[in-house]
Amino acid sequence: MPLETESRAQIRALIAEFRPNHGDLLATLHRIQHEYGYLSREALEVVAEQLHLFAAQVYGAASYYEEFRFEPPAAVDIRWCSGPACRARNGGGIRDALLATLAVQMNGQTEDGRVGVRLGQCIGTCELAPQVWIEERASHTNEVVGNLNAAKAVRLARALRDGATAQEVLRG
Amino acid sequence: MVEITLNGQTVDAQPGRRLVEVIKEQGLSITNLCYIDGLEPYAGCRTCLVEIEGARPTPMQLACVAQVAEGMKVSTDTPNVKSTRNSVLSIILANHPDRCLTCHRRVHCMPGDICLRDDVVTHRCLTCSKNYRCELQTACEITDQGDFEEPWVGETRSYYEVPPPEPDRGNPFLEFDPQMCIICTRCVRACDSLRHTGAVTLSGKGHTTMIAFGTGGQIHESDCDFCGACIDVCPTATLMEKPNKWVGLATDWTNSVCNSCSVGCTISYGTTDDRPVIVKPDRVNPASRDQICVRGRFGYTAVSDRERLTRSLVRAGDRLLPTSFDEALQRAVENIEGVKRAHGANAIAVLGSPLALNEEAHLLVEIAKAIGTPHIDFSHGPVHRAVSAALTGAFGTHRLPSSLTDLETSDTIIAIASDLEESHQVASLRIKDAVVKKRAALVVISAHWGELDSFAAAAIRVRPGHEAAVANALADEAAAPEGVDAAAWAKAIAAVSKAKQSPATSTVLFAPNGVDAALQGETAKAAANLAIAIRGAEAASGLIVMPTDANVNGIADMGVAPGANGKSFPEIIAAAQAGEIKGLVIHADNPLLNAPGTDAIRAALANLDALVVIDEIRSTTAEHATVVLAELPFHAEDGTITNADRRVLRQRPAAIARGQERSGVAILAALAHSLGSAKKLTTVAEVARDIADHVASFPAYSTIDGAPGTTRALPANATFTAKTQPVAAPANVEGILLTVNRSLFTTWAGASMRSEEADQLHREESAWVNPRDAEALGARGGDAIVLTDGTHEVRIALRLEDGVPQGTVYVPHYYDGGAIMALLPLDGAAAAQPIRLRALQPA
Ligand code: SF4
Ligand code: SF4
Ligand code: SF4
Ligand code: SF4
Ligand code: FES
Ligand code: FES
Repeated sequence: MPLETESRAQIRALIAEFRPNHGDLLATLHRIQHEYGYLSREALEVVAEQLHLFAAQVYGAASYYEEFRFEPPAAVDIRWCSGPACRARNGGGIRDALLATLAVQMNGQTEDGRVGVRLGQCIGTCELAPQVWIEERASHTNEVVGNLNAAKAVRLARALRDGATAQEVLRG
Repeated sequence: MVEITLNGQTVDAQPGRRLVEVIKEQGLSITNLCYIDGLEPYAGCRTCLVEIEGARPTPMQLACVAQVAEGMKVSTDTPNVKSTRNSVLSIILANHPDRCLTCHRRVHCMPGDICLRDDVVTHRCLTCSKNYRCELQTACEITDQGDFEEPWVGETRSYYEVPPPEPDRGNPFLEFDPQMCIICTRCVRACDSLRHTGAVTLSGKGHTTMIAFGTGGQIHESDCDFCGACIDVCPTATLMEKPNKWVGLATDWTNSVCNSCSVGCTISYGTTDDRPVIVKPDRVNPASRDQICVRGRFGYTAVSDRERLTRSLVRAGDRLLPTSFDEALQRAVENIEGVKRAHGANAIAVLGSPLALNEEAHLLVEIAKAIGTPHIDFSHGPVHRAVSAALTGAFGTHRLPSSLTDLETSDTIIAIASDLEESHQVASLRIKDAVVKKRAALVVISAHWGELDSFAAAAIRVRPGHEAAVANALADEAAAPEGVDAAAWAKAIAAVSKAKQSPATSTVLFAPNGVDAALQGETAKAAANLAIAIRGAEAASGLIVMPTDANVNGIADMGVAPGANGKSFPEIIAAAQAGEIKGLVIHADNPLLNAPGTDAIRAALANLDALVVIDEIRSTTAEHATVVLAELPFHAEDGTITNADRRVLRQRPAAIARGQERSGVAILAALAHSLGSAKKLTTVAEVARDIADHVASFPAYSTIDGAPGTTRALPANATFTAKTQPVAAPANVEGILLTVNRSLFTTWAGASMRSEEADQLHREESAWVNPRDAEALGARGGDAIVLTDGTHEVRIALRLEDGVPQGTVYVPHYYDGGAIMALLPLDGAAAAQPIRLRALQPA
């Protein structure tokens, strides 16, 4: 039987209010991803126990959604918008600039885990196209940086890579 | 029954049945790539389309969804049905790495040929492990898919556009190659609905939809038990048995039985070149039907061919040297007769094996008679007799009419078993069936956690040694015994009250271990009391007793038990140690693995003048032998076993000798002859006839073959009493107590040789220690520790486990060739004596 560890107890406390057979699965997964930034193996197992499901069922459901992650995210993720408006205004060039500056692939992150680039879907702020939005895990920041061009994108990526916080980047 | 018309023929069918099953039963070919017989339809593949006259909104209907109704007119072969099915299949094939399926030349291609059409692409049926035994391939053949499309002619197929996902070859049993997958989800539903394990899932979406295990990692990191139920239903080469994956195309099938526990699942060996290459469940045993466990499916690969004995051995000084069978037999006879001349027949003893066949056991009894010794037993004999005596006290006989098939239809089940999931997995599965499908209330009484606990209404954790007392307290509906969790106890009492309301569908199951005779006898009494409390006069039909090993009931029926003034197993060992017994014949058992008191046994074996071992491998006991007669592996033997519910099941040979090894029956018959047995039995058939003539209520082969799986060794018209018996109160022992159980993966043969690969997954090589005990010890998970009774030591890795309460340590019985047996006294009383733990410096 799975050993009760401190980390499991923490996860269990976090999702204590959710119940089996109650349509709570997604809410439970969101709660965990919000807290930890991703769904660890351990977390999926604890969720399964809590909701009386098989761990595989929980993983199967979670893996359906792009937004749920199974690996720890970077400290800051640049979400690159792949929507039509951003694309029409050189979104592709911005993507290439970000990836080249950070030497990562789409949905990857720098070796030190500081910055990642992830695919985003249009969030409806197309008047600011082309845009990315900055997600910082520790501060739960999620802010749009709009009206980008390739030069700005490179500066943004460099700043984050070199240790700037989301707040600093957003202010600057 | 109603009448329907199938392709113009009138057919009787059960109303409400899924049409596809009826079509298949009629011998009509139909593609149905996602349906699993007996389960709810999934309706995902759409390949089972048929035309049903007048059906709405269209006559084109799915045969797996449609249910038989009076007057239904069904066509499976109209041009419209055929071309629609072709279109559906072409969508499935677009993402499948075949080409042979639609190649017009495929009839000319043989394995090993170089494909004339396509000499670069290597992924196609001809190079696929499932070629010629693939349901998808057959589906394409029945639909003449090749006439419909030649896909590579100017066509883009999604298969070639994305890199294939990585296969998982990380475990010894199950290979997963997702590029072959057609996402029929049969495996998901088999694991969920047929096994209640839920290790497989559908993950992702759209083009990235994939079968995944557990939380997306490798198979061995998931909850998978490697039962292979998913392999059996997979219509492609995605899920395959790893052993013999590439040679698994059987040319012949042999119906047989698994001998790795007393469920006695019937299996079918697929053979090529006179050796098994694959195992499938065989639906003969009505309790196992289409299910088996990892031991049944892969048991034949437990040890490699090289490790099996192909030549008999005789002792020359320190060494055992190979020799011819005749020479070895002669030496064996000389050895035994030498002891008899010098010390008398009373100085010779005979030991049988709970894994051996009835026919072998019968001959072994003849050998004891020929020698003239009453000392015949087997290592689990004392446990079996203690349990039998308890049952006879309660019911007037220990041959109970209860049936394993009652488990899945029970409303209440009380299981007194250490960990049934590990020891008798298919019995555990049928209990899960009852819980999941019938909402049965399950109570588990055990000294440590087992997977069944998560299906239980109440899991009662007991101190080792208290199993009997606690079960008896439950029978009395007494207050919670000391140390038992009050909430769990209340639920268990509620289950017993519920059981009393529907006694006919209540079952008590008791699985004695093979170690501790006194305790198992008392626990059997308590189990009987519990059955009587619930079912009254009908109690004998409501108590299932499951010995650990396959044929305990059978060999006991054959008379492998001490005769008048005969010594029991521990007495034989003690007498050998004392030098009173000088000669020993052991057939297919390894007391050093199977029985407690390793020191005494080893001393006894070393003290013998003659030790004749008949075995398929060079077991740790065989190392002490003066003569070893090489026997065929179990899967090559011919005969019968008698399982837990006394079904007499045919074991049939699925292999022939590779060297000079012989069948157990042949060896024992020859030995019996040479020792002067009055009966001149040689063939299996002769032995079987002699058994039917002389052993009460044992069926003839013709009877068994006439009603396979349902013929039972039970007296006709037996009457049963229902007498409760007092149960001895357990001693309250302070300190850390040991509990042992047969674990799932470690094989008998591997453990018997003390092979490092006995547990190929290396999962059962640790002792479960409660975190608080570990803390007191100053050891962490994974550290090497020593378990000791003061004299003997067992070195083992520590596994932190909440599944054992403080003060209990669980060790798998087969760990390191049964190493833990050294800490137990010869009578196996594990609970009587506390052990100590000592931390070693972490390596
Ligand atoms: S899985 Fe079946 S259809 Fe596919 S390549 Fe293998 S044999 Fe052919
Ligand atoms: S082998 Fe058995 S337990 Fe494992 S995934 Fe397949 S069905 Fe499930
Ligand atoms: S692995 Fe086999 S059974 Fe499972 S979905 Fe794929 S093809 Fe079907
Ligand atoms: S449950 Fe027992 S008899 Fe059945 S396959 Fe497993 S070990 Fe063999
Ligand atoms: S078998 Fe009917 S839809 Fe697959
Ligand atoms: S001709 Fe079909 S693959 Fe060779």
